[in-house]
Amino acid sequence: MTLKLTLIALFLPLFPLSMVQNLILARLRAPIVRAALLLLWPQLGVALLYTLQPQIPAFIVTWALLSAGFYALRLLTVRDLGLWAAFLASSALALSWGLAVRGVDVTTLRLFVFWFSLPAALLVLLTGPLVRRLGAAYAGLFTGIVERQPRLAVVLTAVVLSTIATPPFPGFFALLDLLRGLGNAAAVGVLGVWLLWGWAATRILQGFVAGSGREIVAPDLAKSSMLTYTAVLAVLVAVGLQFTGGGL
Amino acid sequence: MDKLTILLPAIPLLSAVIISLFAGGQRRRVARISTGFSTLTLLVAIATLALYLRHPQPTQVWLGASWGSLYLDPLACIMALGVAGISLVVHAYSARYMAEESGYTRFYLLLDLMAASILLMVTAGDLVTLLVAWHLIGVLLYFMLGHDTRRATAQRYAFWTFFTYRLGDLPLILAAVLLYQAYGTSSLPLLFERIAAAPDPHTVFGLPLMTTVGLLIALAGFARSAQFPLHTWLPYTMEGPTPVSALMHAGIVNAGGFIINRFAPVFVHSGDALHVVFAVGLVTAILGSVLMLTQNDIKKALGYSTMGQMGFMFVECGVGAFSLAVYHLIAHGLFKGTLFLSAGGVIGDARKHDGVPHDEVYTFVVERRPVASRMPWVVAAIITVVVPVALLALSHWLVGGRFVQQQGAVILLFFGWVTGAQVLFATYRLRAESPWKTMALIILSLIVVVAGYTVIEHAFDLFLYPDRALSERIFVAASIPLATFEILVAILTVATVAGWLAAYYTNAKRGKGDGRPSALRLAFYSLISREFYIADIYAWLTQTVLGLSQRLNVWSRWV
Repeated sequence: MTLKLTLIALFLPLFPLSMVQNLILARLRAPIVRAALLLLWPQLGVALLYTLQPQIPAFIVTWALLSAGFYALRLLTVRDLGLWAAFLASSALALSWGLAVRGVDVTTLRLFVFWFSLPAALLVLLTGPLVRRLGAAYAGLFTGIVERQPRLAVVLTAVVLSTIATPPFPGFFALLDLLRGLGNAAAVGVLGVWLLWGWAATRILQGFVAGSGREIVAPDLAKSSMLTYTAVLAVLVAVGLQFTGGGL
Repeated sequence: MDKLTILLPAIPLLSAVIISLFAGGQRRRVARISTGFSTLTLLVAIATLALYLRHPQPTQVWLGASWGSLYLDPLACIMALGVAGISLVVHAYSARYMAEESGYTRFYLLLDLMAASILLMVTAGDLVTLLVAWHLIGVLLYFMLGHDTRRATAQRYAFWTFFTYRLGDLPLILAAVLLYQAYGTSSLPLLFERIAAAPDPHTVFGLPLMTTVGLLIALAGFARSAQFPLHTWLPYTMEGPTPVSALMHAGIVNAGGFIINRFAPVFVHSGDALHVVFAVGLVTAILGSVLMLTQNDIKKALGYSTMGQMGFMFVECGVGAFSLAVYHLIAHGLFKGTLFLSAGGVIGDARKHDGVPHDEVYTFVVERRPVASRMPWVVAAIITVVVPVALLALSHWLVGGRFVQQQGAVILLFFGWVTGAQVLFATYRLRAESPWKTMALIILSLIVVVAGYTVIEHAFDLFLYPDRALSERIFVAASIPLATFEILVAILTVATVAGWLAAYYTNAKRGKGDGRPSALRLAFYSLISREFYIADIYAWLTQTVLGLSQRLNVWSRWV
């Protein structure tokens, strides 16, 4: 593991270097800054990768898979939405090494990390309205928001689905593209990680959206905010369909 | 034709968009719009089938450059018609049934999206479109089953279903990737052509490619169609709204049979996978039926009944009778959908009056009153054994003499004979007022059922697999060495006859013992009542994984 690779692995996060990103995210309070960091941090890693052009050893795919699996497993018991988004990003972005080893062009890799970091950033942004309304963006604390804040519930659900690579969001096609170029054993590993994401998503959603929960009087997400989130997600889908080419 | 194909998934999708944007949350308007579009979908499905029958040539329509194609072949036509029909019934039924529930618009939105996804799945013309639809069905079903967001049990079982479906999604994705890597195309017709030309270009995981792919597709089907041991979610999905149960048991759960039929050209080269399908289906059919018999909750009994039926469907696939599986899934969808949708009405009526006709069947089964006379047992035994064989053999011979030469057909005939014989045996035990008349009526019913089933199944086979060579090659792929086959049939025969004798002996002995069941019997009963502890094992595994996750988070201080 050279110094160059270590530096890149800090930004295209591989455990334990990924802890740096998560530590910074945990220290930052403003959702917009955290979202910006989630978007820019991995792009910096891609830029470094193509500038420094290090020799990438084959074992790094195994390391990346273990790192992705480690965060996916930990995701299952995370209840703080901001932390959940950070862990999901750590898990998904580690998989980008599978493409890096394949020697894909810079645009493909930039798009791959973007398809996963944008939904994670949106999720971090959603912690803002949740904290303002409920006091904390913490699953299980105030459940049943679909009854009292239906717009917020719909947006939260859609964004969570986009983070776990549900079709037609581009993450789905990006993962298909990744699987196409991996060896069979590594592909099985990626599918295992994907399975854990789905499990974690249902746990986090049930902690917010479902349940009767404690009564709390709080306004729903503004229509304009909902439209903004919807528009961003729609553009993400449209651009994803345009650029991923279906993955296979 | 091309436009109609596109309209099939597009109409329900359009309905979803319209009711979420323009219906303004008005319940009656939402139901009317959605049901109206659903009717239109059914009409388009009928028109598509009619046009296909006039010009029986499969067509593929591409909406995108590399994926997003729709493929209209006999399987897609017939499945689309079934799905559109069941979807319309569920739409119409839900208008009043869901009237008191919250989230009415959300329910119809999900229903429309589900119909669009299923129609997209059955008409998918490439691997990516198929995967997208397959994946979306699982996600949408999760939200539909968890529609009542206040009930913790609904959420729990919605999660079980979602997780099992995800387990089934992943093998299908891997199968698609392997196929794409090997043949360089995602288009299904082109893929099948290339497979026919070069079935096994290399090995994967130490097995021939087609065997691996066949097993992966079968695994995807097992999860979706509740095959043992991936069945635990099915009986508990009754926590969802009744229309969702009907839609699921009548349509979604049948996806396993569809996916195996869709990839028939793969299974032609994957006999080993078909044997696994047969074994899993047989175990599922037996366990599903046993569990159904021991339930005291009618809805769970229905759930296990579906599990048993799905097992039979996979047995049919496993012996190579692919078209019979499609016929089975449509027939099962219709009768199970009817059962679910009429369950509420039946329960309501039963509270007022039982409505059971007090005829000889009622007096025998419910009141257990011995009546009148029996026919001589020798005559009954001869009829029991001979009539089903004669009926089944004759009807199959009539539609196609060569069919009965296939091993798979022999196994199906064997099952048919066992079922028919048990019906006739029950008639003998009935002690009817006029046993000859009752026996004659039951034989007549059996003739209608067997002849009807045989002729329809034969017509189905000709329609779904016009390439007769492909149909025969599937049977050949599913066959096993003759000596092994004969030994298996002999074992099955002995087991069946032994089962009958044991049942007869137990029945004859009833009331003569001290009334206390043996320890072995109690252990068996507790095993069944705990549903073979499968759900407990899963719950333990879940808690173990969650505990590990928690410990890892604590250890790494949540960063």
